[in-house]
Amino acid sequence: MANSASGHGHVHHWETSVAPLLIVGGVLFLVVFGFIGWFSYNSAMLAIVSAGIGTPLLLAGIAKWTGEALTHKPLVEGLSPIALPIFIVSEVFIFLSLFAAYWTMRLSAGPDWPPAGTPTNMNLRLPIIMTVILVASSLTYHVAEVKLEHNDRGGFITWVLISVVLGAVFLACTVYEYSHLMHMKFSPSTNAYSSIFYSITGFHASHVLVGLGAFLTVMLAAVKGLTNQYLAFCVGLYWHFVDIVWFFVASQVYYW
Amino acid sequence: MKRVVSVMAMLGLGLTALLAHAAAPVPDPAASWNHLWRDVLIDLFIIGAVFLSAGLYWVFKYRATREGQVGEGPQLTKLAAIGFAVIPAFLFMADDFYLAAKGWTVWNEYRNVPRNAVEVKVTGSMWTWSFEYENGVTTIFDPDSKTGDGLVVPVGKPVVLRMNSVDVVHSFFLPEHRVKEDLMPGRVTYLWFQPKAVGETIATCAEYCGNRHSFMWTKVKAVPQAEFDQWLANMKQGGKGA
Amino acid sequence: MSTASSGFKLSEWIFTTDHKRIGILYLIGSIAAFAVAGIMALLIRIEQMSPGATIVSDVYTGGEQYNVWLYFHGAAMILGFLIPGLTGFAANYLIPLMIGAKDVAFPRINALSVWLFWAGIVLALLTFVVPDKPDVMWTGYPPYSIKTGGNLALYVFTVHLIGFSSILASVNFLVTIIYMRAPGMGWMQLNMFIWGCFTALIIQLVFVPVLAAAVTLLLFDRYLGTHFYDPANGGDVLLYQNLFWFYSHPAVYVIFLPAMGIFYEIYATMAKNRIFNYKAAVYGMIGIVLVSGEVWVHHLYYSGMPDWIRIGQMVTTLLISVPVGLMTISLFGTLYRGAITFNIPMYYGVAALYLLLIGGLTGIPLAMTVMSVHLGETSFVHAHFHFIMGIFAAFSVFAAVDFWFPKISGRMLHEGRAKIGFWLNFIGVNVTFWPLFIIGVDGMPRRYWDYSQFPAYFGNYHKVATIGAFIVATGMIITISNWLLSAVSGAKASNNPWGSKSLEWTHTETPPGPGNFPQDVVLDGNWSPYNYSK
Ligand code: HEA
Ligand code: HEA
Ligand code: CUA
Ligand SMILES: [Cu+2]
Repeated sequence: MANSASGHGHVHHWETSVAPLLIVGGVLFLVVFGFIGWFSYNSAMLAIVSAGIGTPLLLAGIAKWTGEALTHKPLVEGLSPIALPIFIVSEVFIFLSLFAAYWTMRLSAGPDWPPAGTPTNMNLRLPIIMTVILVASSLTYHVAEVKLEHNDRGGFITWVLISVVLGAVFLACTVYEYSHLMHMKFSPSTNAYSSIFYSITGFHASHVLVGLGAFLTVMLAAVKGLTNQYLAFCVGLYWHFVDIVWFFVASQVYYW
Repeated sequence: MKRVVSVMAMLGLGLTALLAHAAAPVPDPAASWNHLWRDVLIDLFIIGAVFLSAGLYWVFKYRATREGQVGEGPQLTKLAAIGFAVIPAFLFMADDFYLAAKGWTVWNEYRNVPRNAVEVKVTGSMWTWSFEYENGVTTIFDPDSKTGDGLVVPVGKPVVLRMNSVDVVHSFFLPEHRVKEDLMPGRVTYLWFQPKAVGETIATCAEYCGNRHSFMWTKVKAVPQAEFDQWLANMKQGGKGA
Repeated sequence: MSTASSGFKLSEWIFTTDHKRIGILYLIGSIAAFAVAGIMALLIRIEQMSPGATIVSDVYTGGEQYNVWLYFHGAAMILGFLIPGLTGFAANYLIPLMIGAKDVAFPRINALSVWLFWAGIVLALLTFVVPDKPDVMWTGYPPYSIKTGGNLALYVFTVHLIGFSSILASVNFLVTIIYMRAPGMGWMQLNMFIWGCFTALIIQLVFVPVLAAAVTLLLFDRYLGTHFYDPANGGDVLLYQNLFWFYSHPAVYVIFLPAMGIFYEIYATMAKNRIFNYKAAVYGMIGIVLVSGEVWVHHLYYSGMPDWIRIGQMVTTLLISVPVGLMTISLFGTLYRGAITFNIPMYYGVAALYLLLIGGLTGIPLAMTVMSVHLGETSFVHAHFHFIMGIFAAFSVFAAVDFWFPKISGRMLHEGRAKIGFWLNFIGVNVTFWPLFIIGVDGMPRRYWDYSQFPAYFGNYHKVATIGAFIVATGMIITISNWLLSAVSGAKASNNPWGSKSLEWTHTETPPGPGNFPQDVVLDGNWSPYNYSK
């Protein structure tokens, strides 16, 4: 394990971990070579082989990493609660760039917005429902955190589970909406609005997915009796961030 | 004194624009550019010389002469520390504003197209320039065979180019007249220049546009007004140019 | 010395999570990128030696070859060599040692960063393998990058991998600097290099995501048919340029700040002197962080942006000379009343005096909108950024290796060979890049391999530049091989051969073992890394 940073006493051997290299290998093959195989060379073969190599590497890497990180009992209270907000700053800037793209196109189009090809009867009720779901999940997770503070591990697990379900419902809404829109011939390549619509909502959805992964991680850790306030706090922070971003996504992309 | 005036001018933004116009009835951007370039070089040379000579002098002067010698750099008092930050900061700022004001004055010449300008529409494409005159005449120049008229302009009259690209970003660069401006699809950009003497020069593409980027150039020919009118009329009739 | 450090075990290197070893892995990757990109530079220089086709096949397809060399040269020098060389190698190796920490805050994430960077290098090198070689230049402007037959995905993913690596590294090091300083070490007692990294990493954290977004949209436009940069369908060509430079201008300070930091360390140590007006320099660095996000339009002065932005950002760009000027005064002032020893790091240090001025001051005419309208996109720009980045900052990496060489390798560098390397490098770069200033002012455009339309004397200047490039190449081969030779056969180094007061010399063994410090470091309010004369 590589925790010399927080370790006590002196380290007398070179710390190692296999996980990072596995993950990088996985990403390189699965994401990069997979994409390049499929899109640059139109070769399903290349893409499948790359994904075939990359996926096990990535999964092994993640398993190894979480394994190494979640073995201390109780978990080491690291510096993650400080690191995460810093990381979120950089996430904010990715979203800002996407919004900048949106605003540029939106403003230069003036009254000709949304451009031709956009369905006139976009479902504007769904985003409200989705907002409610997401806010609810933030609240339920908060309840979970309170339970944890009172050392109620069972309650914590239950309430995290409820949050996971809400998050999953949110994603299901996205999938439903996408398939519906695609059906109406509104795809990423339809016009400038569709391009940004799918990019922003898709990018946000990917964050929801990561958040769900984080939920599952704390939950499994809790099931094993390995959990602490810091980890739970980090996961919550990330989830609330994803939640707040959604307000911007919804208000800008759907209603402006 | 000049410096102070410029700094003040920078502050009273709108006013200088008017003054610059009143003072310079026949703007010649390229000449102003050359003039400013000289000023900037002098300015930078002085700054560079001061810093470099101080640095080199100290390097030379403060060599260690014995084993174990340590430096005796001053421990600044609070006041001295602030002074050594604030005073240079203001000096640098003064120079910056001076340069900005100077630059801004010339820039106004660059952007305010005189009313009597001859207008030519320029279209960039991979990898040629085509020029369309007000009467509909279109010319191109072929860099491989070196044939075609390219851009023909009358001497003594300002020329404004309205530019657009059909494919990727290009940039119309006229080194002799010290101007360039990009062309891109979806927008019309402009630049203007003042042909002063009869002669030939070149314009070339200055924004990377692929394989034959370095070959995307054209002849630019300045001819007397009468000859220009004649040429335009000939071209209109489908005849050959000069 | 601990038992673990005896003997070489490969698995202890490739799976390492130790910041010192990770730093060395960064260094190897970054020097590899430099060597390959440098060879591309030689090809570029040979081609430009005379107008017309010199080594490319012919005028019709020659551009395809040249543009790939130039693409690789620019992208690899910046993304593969300098950023990883400074915020990868130097930051990794030195930050924990200088602040008295056992390692970085997240060692495993640190290992993730270095391998992501290496993945980026591998991907960049694939340029030479794939049939559809990328030719989009390091700037990747659409619509060209979307229309070209070159492999855009290779460019985008190289940026993604190295970008993601830098974001993780930024988070990691920022937390390390903020929370893991030795007890008693206050902010105003930090090494200048730490300040350089701290400010550079903030810039990286905030601006790299913007680049990531910009190139991702490029990828979508090319492969998924979206319309972000396509004006015919409501997109905007300039959007990319704005996003790109919103990142890429601050990126030059990601390079510049640690580079300055390294020279402060070298000056202070070799002159056995305190930093002149330390606080002013620190506030200068912070000032750069604050203004660096408001100047990007100086790369778009002739791109058809609205006039008022071009003027507004001329003023902000010029004002950068204020914080940089304060840093410069502190740097030069550190020599004042010093006791200077001239050894190889200090040779680079003295050269830096001049390089900083030439490179920095030539940024000033470029910063003036109206000057840039002629000078922009010419080889004047090349000369500007090669002086400040390709030489000043690159020299800072070489100087850093030379300066910390005893600590890193446990052996002394062979000074004689290093000096020969230095002189060849220094003379070579001047011979290479001064001619480019001159023909740049006369209108020699960038990214041209043929310039037959220009006056014939351009060819003479280009010839001189080519000769210079080969002088540099010789110097670099000597410099790099000297590192390798000295690392195995140099004289053994003591713990603190330069007599420095900085923690990485005073409190560690040579080379430092796992955990860095034999004893926990505790400092008091009087400690300073520059306390030579009390
Ligand atoms: C390490 C990298 C680095 C650094 C530090 C800088 C520093 C600066 N750069 Fe440079 N620049 C590049 C790398 C860098 N640049 C690159 C790579 C490009 C080309 C990109 C591409 O197109 O591919 C470029 C291009 C570039 C352009 C665009 C040119 C064009 O394409 O048209 C401009 C325009 O403003 C510019 C300006 C400046 C300025 C004003 C500074 C300032 O920060 C310099 C400040 C320093 C000083 C001024 C000297 C020291 C100060 C004093 C001695 C105090 C007194 C001085 C005064 C009062 C003036 N640079
Ligand atoms: C850190 C940045 C950096 C560095 C160090 C350099 C270094 C050099 N650069 Fe480069 N350059 C850029 C960044 C840099 N450059 C960028 C960003 C561009 C713009 C790209 C664009 O337009 O998009 C550019 C563009 C550029 C051009 C413009 C071409 C054109 O526009 O048409 C030219 C032309 O002369 C050039 C030349 C050189 C030369 C001769 C060197 C020399 O100093 C290089 C010397 C190094 C070597 C020759 C390698 C030595 C090593 C070996 C030979 C291996 C030995 C190995 C062992 C012993 C193990 N560069
Ligand atoms: Cu057109 Cu370059
Ligand atoms: Cu810049």
